Amino acid sequence: MIKLIEKIEGEAKLNFNFKEGKIDFVDIEFMSTRNIENILRGKNAFDALVINPRVCGICGHAHLIATVQALESCYSNLKLSNKAKIIRELTLNFELIQNHFKWFYLTMLPLFGHKQEILKATYPSQLMGKAIAIFGGQYPHTSYAVVGGVVCEITEIDIIKLQHYMAETLKFVEENLVKTKSENFLTCEDADALLDYEGDLPDILRQIKKENLLEYGKSYDRFISFGHNSYFKKGKSLKAKITHNISVLHVKESEMPSSFAKNVSFKDKYYEVGPLARAMVNKTPLIADAHKKYGDSIFSRILARVCEISQLLQHSKELIKDLDLSEKSYIEPSIDISKLSSSGYSAVEAARGTLIHKVEIENGMIKNYEIITPTQWNLSGGTKDKHGVSQKAMIGLSDVKTAELVFKSFDVCSVCTTH
Amino acid sequence: MKKKMRVLWLSAIACNGNTHSFLNYPYMEQFLDDFEFIYHPVIDSEYSLEDIVSKEITCDILLIEGAISKEFKRADVSVVDIIEKYSKIVQKIVTVGTCATFGGIFRESGYEETSGLHFDKEEPLKTHKDLLDKTISVSGCPVHPEVLVNTLYAIKKSAALKLDNFLRPKEFYAYTVHNGCTRNEYFEYKVDNHRFGELEGCMFYDHGCQAPFTHGSCNKILWNEVNSKTRAGVPCMGCTEPTFPRQNLFSTKKNMAIPENLPVGVGKRVYLTLAGISKAFKIDRLEKKLIDD
Repeated sequence: MIKLIEKIEGEAKLNFNFKEGKIDFVDIEFMSTRNIENILRGKNAFDALVINPRVCGICGHAHLIATVQALESCYSNLKLSNKAKIIRELTLNFELIQNHFKWFYLTMLPLFGHKQEILKATYPSQLMGKAIAIFGGQYPHTSYAVVGGVVCEITEIDIIKLQHYMAETLKFVEENLVKTKSENFLTCEDADALLDYEGDLPDILRQIKKENLLEYGKSYDRFISFGHNSYFKKGKSLKAKITHNISVLHVKESEMPSSFAKNVSFKDKYYEVGPLARAMVNKTPLIADAHKKYGDSIFSRILARVCEISQLLQHSKELIKDLDLSEKSYIEPSIDISKLSSSGYSAVEAARGTLIHKVEIENGMIKNYEIITPTQWNLSGGTKDKHGVSQKAMIGLSDVKTAELVFKSFDVCSVCTTH
Repeated sequence: MKKKMRVLWLSAIACNGNTHSFLNYPYMEQFLDDFEFIYHPVIDSEYSLEDIVSKEITCDILLIEGAISKEFKRADVSVVDIIEKYSKIVQKIVTVGTCATFGGIFRESGYEETSGLHFDKEEPLKTHKDLLDKTISVSGCPVHPEVLVNTLYAIKKSAALKLDNFLRPKEFYAYTVHNGCTRNEYFEYKVDNHRFGELEGCMFYDHGCQAPFTHGSCNKILWNEVNSKTRAGVPCMGCTEPTFPRQNLFSTKKNMAIPENLPVGVGKRVYLTLAGISKAFKIDRLEKKLIDD
């Protein structure tokens, strides 16, 4: 049975094979591509800073940060101020947060039979857009991060405005998502205790428990995360055993016969990326507890994504304290890009998980560019003997509607996948 | 009960940037009281994409996001066929963003004959000429949410919008992005000492800023209600124009030290004369830091 899955930043086709009333195999097909990698070839390297945010309307900022870091890795002695690093990290955090609000209120709630909460999605995500715009001039689609730093100069007044947007967002979380002081939510280490709170998140988690959906969405219990920064750690988790020593060199992309999306594996194995993966690698107590009790299920996946809103708001508050406004925002690279022939790569954590950019430059022009997006990780697969993460999570379910819920619990992004 | 206008939001070869820019419209509640989507890429709608392509559902406005090619399909149907079907029944068509208007970045996607609805970059197309009277274009990569929403309200009100040669409402596109930029004085007095990461300086001379010859209201209505690219220090990339994206975006193309593209309507000779006079001013406050000193 073929089902068109919509409103995942585009569409995908899921071809469900049933055996004895249960899903036996799911073939995932993306029907189009936009060939951004080809568009980039032959262009001036810095133009990638303008083109790449256009990979995606909802996580374009992650693509900007991945682009600037990939280009910077091509230089041997490039200097970046701490201030620029912090500002980039802040704006990326804000993008993750706006995504999670939209995913929860626009995508997830309707799948649980609730009305889509458009205003609950747009109000806090607009605040995060404003926060990014203070630095980037606009959101979406800014190109404010350039090789050598960021183009903006920040004053105390900007910081005050920023803190107001963040405080207002936090207030929204405390009045809607989880109705408690965020300290209580952030220090809660017991996933079951969370069920006693009021709010839109506990409501959904209770519903999962009540409707016996706790076993749904389990996959390999294998997670990976490459984009480390002051909050996220790099590493992999296999049945809660964590290793930090991993290399992007073992990440492989391969073509899929039935789809425009490419497969991505690490040492020939498929891994889950995203907030749950990050929380497992980071050993976040609440998520580790949810995982201990309910495994890599939709329960843990939803909790991890929404929980990241509060964690990133909290961490961003701390980051602002480390900003030294007297530092330079931008330090001009010592070599002009037109004299540079080199290659490099970057890995950043986008809303949906690890995003990798690889670039090859010849005399400042792009010779080759490769993008590996989070949805590619989670939706890899294609063969019956080697299921991808999301494929495995759907196998054994008895109806297509639940399968769609499981599928969308990965926060699938079609436009990123088919870049 | 007042009648809501029915809107179909169709995504062609797009990144969904216009969709998410639209979600930043601050008065969404009011908007949704006045308009309903028979389909939208993110917002729940009464009809599925399969309904949209297989049936003909009554609709007042067709919004097109993304570059257009016959070869590109939604739910197995060519976007051109979907556009042709609905264009016959709607009152107005709005090309949302630069891709749908001129082809934009995804003009280079590799699909056969990819362009905007009526223009391939600057060049007017022969196809869909019968729809010219119905179309309003709101370009931008992405479009500013207020530009889109207020254009839709103008349609609802049956207000006669004056359009420019590219079918863009003059109310938004008669301005240049330069208009309202906080760095204007540096441009006027030809103080060309811009460096990234500073509040001071104009990016027109060295860093490829296209604001003086780009039509748009970015510095008039501001983005996310707080800022604009050029105010923040990002050069204007000319994203509302048919030429977007030019190449070598972060540097200014010059002939004999004169920027190749001059402000809209300014001749080279006049510009040189004006620049000579402006440079004669030595304005102390523009040579110094705005805040530190």
